[in-house]
Amino acid sequence: MPNIRYANMCHWKTIPYRKIENFREFYYEDNTNSAYYSDWDKILKYQSALGFEGIEIAPWDLADILPLFGSPESFTAFAKERGVEVIGMFHGAHASHDAGHFDEAVRAGREAVDTIVRFGGTYMNTCPTQNYFGTGPLSREEVQQCAKVMNEIGRYATDRGVKIGLHNEFFCAINLSNHRELIESTDPKLVHYCIDTAQISIMGEDLLTFYNDYHDRISTFHLKDTASSKLPDSVRFSQDPEITDDGTRWFWEPGMGELDLKGLYSLLKQHGFKGWMSIEYDGSPDLLASMALTRYFLDNELRPIYD
Amino acid sequence: MKTEKIAISLDLINRHNQEPNRNRYESRYFWEELYRLIAAAGFSAIEIPYEPVWQFGGRSGVPMNRYCVNTKYGDAAGYLAQLQASGIDRVAGVTFDPNLFMRNDSLDFYFGASGHFAGEGLDHAADLGADYFAISPSPFHGRVAQYHPDLTDKMETFTTRTVELLSGLAAKAEARGVSLVLRSEYWSLFGGKRLAPFYDALPASIKLDVDTANLFVSGISAPDFIAAHSGRIGCVHLTDTDFVDTGEVWKTPNPEHPSGRATQVFRDPGSGSVNLAQIVRQLDSLGYEGPVTASARQTRDPFRAVLRTRALLNQITK
Repeated sequence: MPNIRYANMCHWKTIPYRKIENFREFYYEDNTNSAYYSDWDKILKYQSALGFEGIEIAPWDLADILPLFGSPESFTAFAKERGVEVIGMFHGAHASHDAGHFDEAVRAGREAVDTIVRFGGTYMNTCPTQNYFGTGPLSREEVQQCAKVMNEIGRYATDRGVKIGLHNEFFCAINLSNHRELIESTDPKLVHYCIDTAQISIMGEDLLTFYNDYHDRISTFHLKDTASSKLPDSVRFSQDPEITDDGTRWFWEPGMGELDLKGLYSLLKQHGFKGWMSIEYDGSPDLLASMALTRYFLDNELRPIYD
Repeated sequence: MKTEKIAISLDLINRHNQEPNRNRYESRYFWEELYRLIAAAGFSAIEIPYEPVWQFGGRSGVPMNRYCVNTKYGDAAGYLAQLQASGIDRVAGVTFDPNLFMRNDSLDFYFGASGHFAGEGLDHAADLGADYFAISPSPFHGRVAQYHPDLTDKMETFTTRTVELLSGLAAKAEARGVSLVLRSEYWSLFGGKRLAPFYDALPASIKLDVDTANLFVSGISAPDFIAAHSGRIGCVHLTDTDFVDTGEVWKTPNPEHPSGRATQVFRDPGSGSVNLAQIVRQLDSLGYEGPVTASARQTRDPFRAVLRTRALLNQITK
């Protein structure tokens, strides 16, 4: 068993079919490649063929997946038949910094944990609260409130075999000035950390320094590259900065940006990391091409350093 | 029929399903180029599918609701100015469907959220100077049944509350000078032959949408439908299909993607089996002068669909 197993964070938009039985007929309706991206059977086979054994789903997928498969368990069985397991689900802890929202934030977190358990997953990577725009800067008390919610959800998750991992976006109200304060305000037995390599670099953390400092808190990764490290406050704190007006991409496939991912893998080896590494392709125009490029980079550049 | 008055719906951009290059659809630049291309294809009016979902998660580049328009253009007037600079003179209509809010077993949540956002969509339509606000009266039948397996028992309540919601919107629409129009999708709780008794319970100010493909899928003759309701037509959607629902696909949770046999339900106008030329002739003979919108929903190539639609209109209005 390798030390690192690879998964994909699911960025597929709605996949409307389970399995298309009449594929050739469907293709001939308009002779386009849409047919290749319309059923989970093929999406999961692409993933499996490229060596990504896990999938991390997103909560916004549920409205489509559940009617299509009937239940989380049914999706999990379908994926497993194709060599893919559900490792967890992303979660956004909306307004967790707001004391008046404590019960709702905890309830939503617990429900997400329950959903993950039904999918057979064990990770819940969690954005600690909403965007900076319209919310930040947070007071010290609000950061502590956020930590309180994370601890509460973390306790519930831990009891059910799920690890929650803080996952910071570069545009989150938890940002460079209070990012580490939040981590250190949470209980390390209950709350872990998912390093999104691009997001924290864009936010202004140095990736290698951050991993060295917190390696014992790291539950998993979202591995992606960026050519936009240390964006200024004016961008990070602006309204809806994730999707740019002109098509500028913040995120690139591993190896297509400027992060020292080989340096990261040397540190993974030094600290003996064992677990899942989720690759993220948000912003890619072609998720399948991104997946294949990533597999090449992993096999030829990163896995020779540490596997 | 004056084809220069026919609008095209922005639903030709497949915003929700996976396909290569769809990431472009979330950025402002994509839409602003699209307006120019639509104008170049001879369309000077558009229809907007109002979608609250883009309000959440920072996707305000997709101009499908008031929040997004205000974020990127300041207000509706700013958005209209951008359209006009791109060769689009006006927004003919706005559509709304409540599928997003059928996501749990609470009817209070569904009617509360649907009523709130439909009201916002109607205001947005008025601010844009649209002729009509076309609303789907229910989510997918199968989606309702997914969360309400006791739907049969709840149907009377659901119908009563829907009539209340639409009656409130009708009053608001009249006050704001927008025509409220009822859509008649084949997958609706009130679609196909189920429409008539429901429609009779609504205020007379609510008009009907003639959606040619949806009628075809339901096995209803569009010419007969037009003839029967000629005095209450609020807008016409020129849509095409090859699909007839003989297997109760309308009752499934994902009825626009029939699970037993995959097919593209809605084809680009002119690529299916609906006799759109006959329908246009009929509307002309009745003296219909209301809004007409072409829609290439589910197209696999939006740029080809715009030109296919223009080619069709050139042909049928010679």
